[in-house]
Amino acid sequence: MGWFDNGWGLSLIVFLPLVGAVAVLFTPKKNEAAIKAISLGFTAVTLVLAAFLAFRFDFGNSDEFQFGTDLTWIESINSSFHIGVDGISLPLLVLSAFVTILAVIYSFNHWPEPHNPKGFMALTLVLATGMNGTFVALDLVLFFVFFELVLLPMYFMIGIWGDKAIMKIPGFNREVETRLYASIKFFLFTLFGSAFMLLGFLALYFKSGEPGARTFDIPGLIELAPNFTGTFAFLVFGALFLGFAVKVPMWPLHTWLPDAHTAAPTVGSVLLAAILLKLGAYGFIRISIPILPEMAKQWAPAIAILAVIGIIYGSLACLAQTDMKRLIAFSSVGHMGFVMLGIASMTPVGMNAAIIGMVAHGVITGLLFFLAGSMSHRYHTRDMARLGGNMKVMPIMGGILGFTAMASLGLPGLAGFWGEFMALFGAYSPLAGLDTTLFRTAMVLGAIGTVLTAGYMLWMLQKVNLGEPSAEWEGQHFHDVDAYELAAWVPLVVAIVAIGIFPRLVLGATNDAVVSLVTKAFGG
Amino acid sequence: MNLPTTFAIAAEETGHAVEYGDGGWAAEWAWLLVIVPFLAFLAIVFFGKRLPRQGGEIAVGAMAFVALYGAVLFILNATQGVVFEHSVEVARIGSFSIEWGWVVDGLSSMMYLVVGLLSFLIFTYALGYMKGDVRVTWFFAAFSLFAGSMLLLVSAPNLIQLIVGWEGVGLSSYLLIAHYWEKKENSSAGMKAFYVNKVADIGLVIGAFVLAIPVGSFRISDILEAVVGDSEAMQTVAIAGAVLLFIGAMGKSAQFPFHVWLPDAMAGPTPVSALMHAATMVTAGVYLLGRMYPLYAVMAPDVLRVLVLTIGAITLIIAGLLALVQDDIKKVLAYSTVSQLGYMVAAMGAGAYTAGLFHLWTHAFFKGLLFLGAGSVIHSVHSNNMSDMGGLRKSMPVTFGTFVAGTVALAGIFPFAGFFSKDEVLASFNYEGYTVVLAIGIIGAFVTAFYMARTVFLTFYGTHKGHGHPHESPRVMTVPMVVLAGLAVVGGWVNIPGLYTGFTQWVGTRAHLFEEHHGESFDWPVLALGLSAALLGIAGGYLLYFRDKETQQARDSFRIPLLWPLLEHKYYLDDLYLGGIVNPIKGPLARFVDWTNSYILDGIVNGAGFLARAVAGVVYGWFDQRGIDLAFNGIAFTTDGAGGKTRLLQTGKVQQYAGATVVGVTLLVIGFVILR
Amino acid sequence: MTPDIDYLALAPEITLAITAVVVLLLDLFLPRSQKYWTAIVAVLGVSFAALPLIALAVSDVGDRTMLGGSFVVDDFALVLKGLFVVAGYLVLLMSVSYIESDRYYQGEYYFLMLMSILGTVVLASSRDLITLFIAIELVSQPMYLLAGWRKGDLRSNEASLKYYLLGVLASALMLYGMSFIYGLTGELTFAGIARAGAGMADDPAFIMALLFMIAGFGFKVSAVPFHFWAPDTYEGAPTPVTAYLSVSSKAAGFVALLVVLYSAFPDAAGVWGPAIWILAALSMTLANLTALRQTNIVRLLAFSSIAQAGFMLVPFAAAATTDAVGLGDAFAASVTYIVIYAFMNLGAFAVVIAGARKTGTGEIEGWGGLGSYAPGIGLLAAAFFFSLAGIPPLAGWIAKLVMFSAAMGAGSAWMVMLAAIAAVNAVIALFYYAKVVKTIWMDPVPATAPDEAVRTASVAGSLGLALGLSAAIVVAAGFFPSLVTFFSEATRVLAGG
Repeated sequence: MGWFDNGWGLSLIVFLPLVGAVAVLFTPKKNEAAIKAISLGFTAVTLVLAAFLAFRFDFGNSDEFQFGTDLTWIESINSSFHIGVDGISLPLLVLSAFVTILAVIYSFNHWPEPHNPKGFMALTLVLATGMNGTFVALDLVLFFVFFELVLLPMYFMIGIWGDKAIMKIPGFNREVETRLYASIKFFLFTLFGSAFMLLGFLALYFKSGEPGARTFDIPGLIELAPNFTGTFAFLVFGALFLGFAVKVPMWPLHTWLPDAHTAAPTVGSVLLAAILLKLGAYGFIRISIPILPEMAKQWAPAIAILAVIGIIYGSLACLAQTDMKRLIAFSSVGHMGFVMLGIASMTPVGMNAAIIGMVAHGVITGLLFFLAGSMSHRYHTRDMARLGGNMKVMPIMGGILGFTAMASLGLPGLAGFWGEFMALFGAYSPLAGLDTTLFRTAMVLGAIGTVLTAGYMLWMLQKVNLGEPSAEWEGQHFHDVDAYELAAWVPLVVAIVAIGIFPRLVLGATNDAVVSLVTKAFGG
Repeated sequence: MNLPTTFAIAAEETGHAVEYGDGGWAAEWAWLLVIVPFLAFLAIVFFGKRLPRQGGEIAVGAMAFVALYGAVLFILNATQGVVFEHSVEVARIGSFSIEWGWVVDGLSSMMYLVVGLLSFLIFTYALGYMKGDVRVTWFFAAFSLFAGSMLLLVSAPNLIQLIVGWEGVGLSSYLLIAHYWEKKENSSAGMKAFYVNKVADIGLVIGAFVLAIPVGSFRISDILEAVVGDSEAMQTVAIAGAVLLFIGAMGKSAQFPFHVWLPDAMAGPTPVSALMHAATMVTAGVYLLGRMYPLYAVMAPDVLRVLVLTIGAITLIIAGLLALVQDDIKKVLAYSTVSQLGYMVAAMGAGAYTAGLFHLWTHAFFKGLLFLGAGSVIHSVHSNNMSDMGGLRKSMPVTFGTFVAGTVALAGIFPFAGFFSKDEVLASFNYEGYTVVLAIGIIGAFVTAFYMARTVFLTFYGTHKGHGHPHESPRVMTVPMVVLAGLAVVGGWVNIPGLYTGFTQWVGTRAHLFEEHHGESFDWPVLALGLSAALLGIAGGYLLYFRDKETQQARDSFRIPLLWPLLEHKYYLDDLYLGGIVNPIKGPLARFVDWTNSYILDGIVNGAGFLARAVAGVVYGWFDQRGIDLAFNGIAFTTDGAGGKTRLLQTGKVQQYAGATVVGVTLLVIGFVILR
Repeated sequence: MTPDIDYLALAPEITLAITAVVVLLLDLFLPRSQKYWTAIVAVLGVSFAALPLIALAVSDVGDRTMLGGSFVVDDFALVLKGLFVVAGYLVLLMSVSYIESDRYYQGEYYFLMLMSILGTVVLASSRDLITLFIAIELVSQPMYLLAGWRKGDLRSNEASLKYYLLGVLASALMLYGMSFIYGLTGELTFAGIARAGAGMADDPAFIMALLFMIAGFGFKVSAVPFHFWAPDTYEGAPTPVTAYLSVSSKAAGFVALLVVLYSAFPDAAGVWGPAIWILAALSMTLANLTALRQTNIVRLLAFSSIAQAGFMLVPFAAAATTDAVGLGDAFAASVTYIVIYAFMNLGAFAVVIAGARKTGTGEIEGWGGLGSYAPGIGLLAAAFFFSLAGIPPLAGWIAKLVMFSAAMGAGSAWMVMLAAIAAVNAVIALFYYAKVVKTIWMDPVPATAPDEAVRTASVAGSLGLALGLSAAIVVAAGFFPSLVTFFSEATRVLAGG
């Protein structure tokens, strides 16, 4: 399996979806069967390869980059096609491949309007390449390209297939279609962040050595970490922070998220929540912290504070929502707050918490968006006041919704628990030198956040699932979950339980990698 | 099989070295106890509907197994004293390991038996009680889920697993309280239980952190070893941990001020109230205290004395008083449960580890029994309110008999179970010299006896005030009640000071980490006081309620001006929580946050957008000449259409452009000079 | 003495000149029905001009200098000549269908176009002030006529008039500056000026002269505040001509800037650096803001190209505050940006031609739903416009990257500030580029849209070829930036970096 290990396997995982997208583009619009087959085929092969990669992964050395390759790409700026996976990126890579195929399967009988499978599948596949690529890129420029590659597909997904309802821009006397507002807002927000992120990358590049010796190579830059100090490093970290924090998203840069999630078509929301949000937090772990450890330490309190604000703020905002999808969107702000709190603690525990929290949020919130999509698909509304008694109307879907909500509020024994629990644990004893009082206050607030999370999740269940169905559905027939939905959801349910009972599925890969990362960055 | 060294050390320290067995295969396979109910849960969810009793039989079967296995372990421990602990690592985070495992020792084996036995009996009872219910299958599924979580909690060798089980029972409690979720108040009651517990759980979780960090492990045995081993360094840690864990315990065991959820929890089906909200789940807090007792007794005695004892005492009296004014029979029993939990916690606080657990043990039997009796009554009169009952002793003899047995046991009349346990609790107060608490305890005994007498007389004596013709419940329901009645009688005979103190040995397998006083014989004066208080209570109840001679006035007769409204409004605690905490957060605060999101944060974003547009507009105005040109051309055309053309060729602001160009150059020069 | 002539070195120019003449003659003698031959010959001629370039590139003679160093064929010249030839080729392809669709007389069109292309090619090699000036004028003069090609259209006439008058002014400024330089240094060749002008960086007259030249070039590259002619002229001129103006003519201006500033005034970088800094900042910001409000797609592209000019000037400004290596980086960055910009902008204009044909309008609202009935055009539009916005994986991102890189490389606070300004502008720019794509893909088909037949009419072959080529380059360069950077790196030599 030499070819597989020396970069080909990984490159295939990254680029097969893109090939698939091209193949879809050259398939006649009429021939939907072929389009379905191609997109399913390519995502399936990608998933199989990813699984095989995980199977061949040497967990003993999960702190080293494996299956990698390093080819010259842009000589003039000494940027190379350097890819590889370690214990930190592996779970996220697998998650990405996993969720993508489920999204494809789901859309087979949930094509959003306007009906255009060709375009939709092509974009989904391009998106997949962007996501997988970001998780394996070990060169800043390469990372940037993949990081940005997800923008276009998501922009089109939201803009073309998004929510066509007219919305009023709060505070301004102007009305606009939700999809148009949300799509450009998402695009501009992210581009704004990543523009400065790019400046940060370049600053690192020029600081990395004499002309000719300069590099964008992430491992290389990690070795040079001691050189990056003072105001320079502080500003660079700030620039990277902008780029990543927008993507996470961290309060107060989160406002694109509720609109984007609410407007996006179901599959769009799923991929956005499950994978795209992870790119930011992953950037912190992969780039900001190991390359600028000292600055990370300086910024940690700020990050922790923002994270906690995000937790409380997101949860409170959820309690004010009437739109089910928007509520779930805001819940992401809270959950990613826990992820960032874990990162801010700068400890192995916290980093582990961040990664398992991301994976858990991926499967759980992904599933929640699937469910929200399917429900509005049937009820033609997302207004929780009109839903209700769903348990009676569609028992199975209601049951899965209940289960997922429980997982989302961090019920022990399910995936969501570990992220929250360990994040708080990490915050209780942050890295030596960080202000313990501050972090413990953050922990307590975060713990209160878990109560609020339970608050809005159960509240949502009560409004949507419980009670008597509203009279307006009298006599209407609602088809409970169909085969495609089950095919897309059951794997997620299984994953939620599996990770909950056996967290080693994720932590087994991450722990050593995280420990060595932290040790490298902050000393033993 | 990895037996912590704690015990060897402790044994040497405390003098009496005790040899323990490892329980052999029975202990090795004890994990089955936990797994089987979960499997039952899955089996019921997926296949339950197809079965004749919609899955009930699976549940009962599983519980039968648990009960038997629990009995085996119990006897094993009773005969040879077992300490067995095994853990399987499922992940490492940093230097900490996350483990699943199980413990077999005195404390846990006692709980295994209680949980197994009562689950079996009450599940069987439920077969009859829930017959024809809207969601029988789901009911038994959730019930099994509860049993599994409870056993997971009991069998936990480390705090993480304990937390998992802890929240698991919380979840099943929520599910079962909200069983009839068509009605909003039911689902709200479930949510209330969940929230209150979740708040208290913050203490449990943070307590776990506090203890785990310095010790470097979540394992309870490691923690106890480290903390108890090294007194000075761990002092603060121990105290902080003790307090925080107790906060968690207060939630589950419905101690003041967290007790508010338990009465509402009665919205669930009665078997649920019997098993979870009386016999087992609510005792989890007491169990936690017992599990961590060395920490409290050795390192944080002040926490016991000051916090635990006080909370217990307060709870036992305020809840007892609340029970006096309830009309809903289940609410009476609920408050009674809170009150009895108060006794257990207070006992623990008074340093009486055994007494607390002993009361847990007896209480499980007779309170479970009382709830089943109440259920059987409700089943036949279709109402919870005692004002719709009365005179049922003729029509429901078995229920009547067993209920009375339970009542007497709860009131603590010799020789019923409650007598021995309550007496031991009171004695422990006396021994430690907590006179005030002793007084409260005795008053509590009086109150207990009084409201139970009231309940019995209002329910079974006098004339039937409800509609229809009450009838005795079917066998499947009465048999478990009879069995429990038997236990309510004999349950207390396992710990008679000076005569036979088996129970002390059974739960004592780990107790020698700390010293505990065991009276050689009864504390006669206390016994006399307690017993007479109980008898007085019954007498009072008889006087006021027997044959409900003009009940209304009878009730009035003890409407103490200040106390009464306080009791009717449950000390205004619910109003405080709702009005003071929940509603402000749910209402104004949430709305405000959402408002800031759309108007402040988004306002800034959109504002920036519109600002850019506005600026663009200005720039466009003086920068993009086209506007001006069009104006000119327009004028040209309007002045005279034909001449417009010719004139147009001269317009176009070329001079302006040229001027601008020259200005540009000068600008450059100036700019250059500045920058230079 | 007769100067020794290296004919191979001159082959491209000669080919183009001959083609131009042939086209003129053909046009005289061919009957009306056969006129399309002129187009074919013109296209072929330009293609042939590329062959000697390849020959020169592979030949190992190295730099070919003649006419006393006034005319040099080095890697820089070759790369730029190549760019100009290809760009010219694409513009001609666009022209064919466009001019045919118009009823205007063809001959001169191709003749003038070829002459202008010849000018650009000469420019790339010119290494003294006079050759440079002649070359620039040779590029511009035909454009004055072509801009007004649509004789019947008032706006077209107005466009050419403005362009002409202001162009003359700019040339005058430039020439004025050049004369000063000559007077001060007594040299015409850049090398000579560099030598003689080494110490003069503080001489006010020298500075004035330099700034006057910059102003002249600023007009050619339509940098603010010398851009006033651009929007009106772009809108008035025939679209292919606009494409040529916004690409070849603009690039010519930049090449002039490059050779003059880097090889004639390296020591005066302290003078022209700040000046360019101002031009760059102004062009980016003002043009982007104005573009936000445009409703006509050509006019939007006009302001976009002004803003892009601002981006292209950033590396120049950086060159002022950096060392030799940084100078080389900046130089290479400019060339990279120019090359990529050329293709994505040509593509954008090709899309405009095709789209306008289908939608029957240049107003952006009119393009609503284009993606639904012409997905191909829609896709290409998205590709080119987002490439202009610099979104990966389209070539525009690498242009932006090297531009930022040059700015950050300089390391001075001023340049970091300029980089920040550029970053913000990149975001602003996205808004109007995305607006076009949004209209094409997300808006409904307007009532004013022409009927089915027009909408679904297939794109002319030549135009399709132009679209295909530029799209291929834009995508390929996006994934493999080395395709471009390889050439731009080769040009470093001129900056001595």
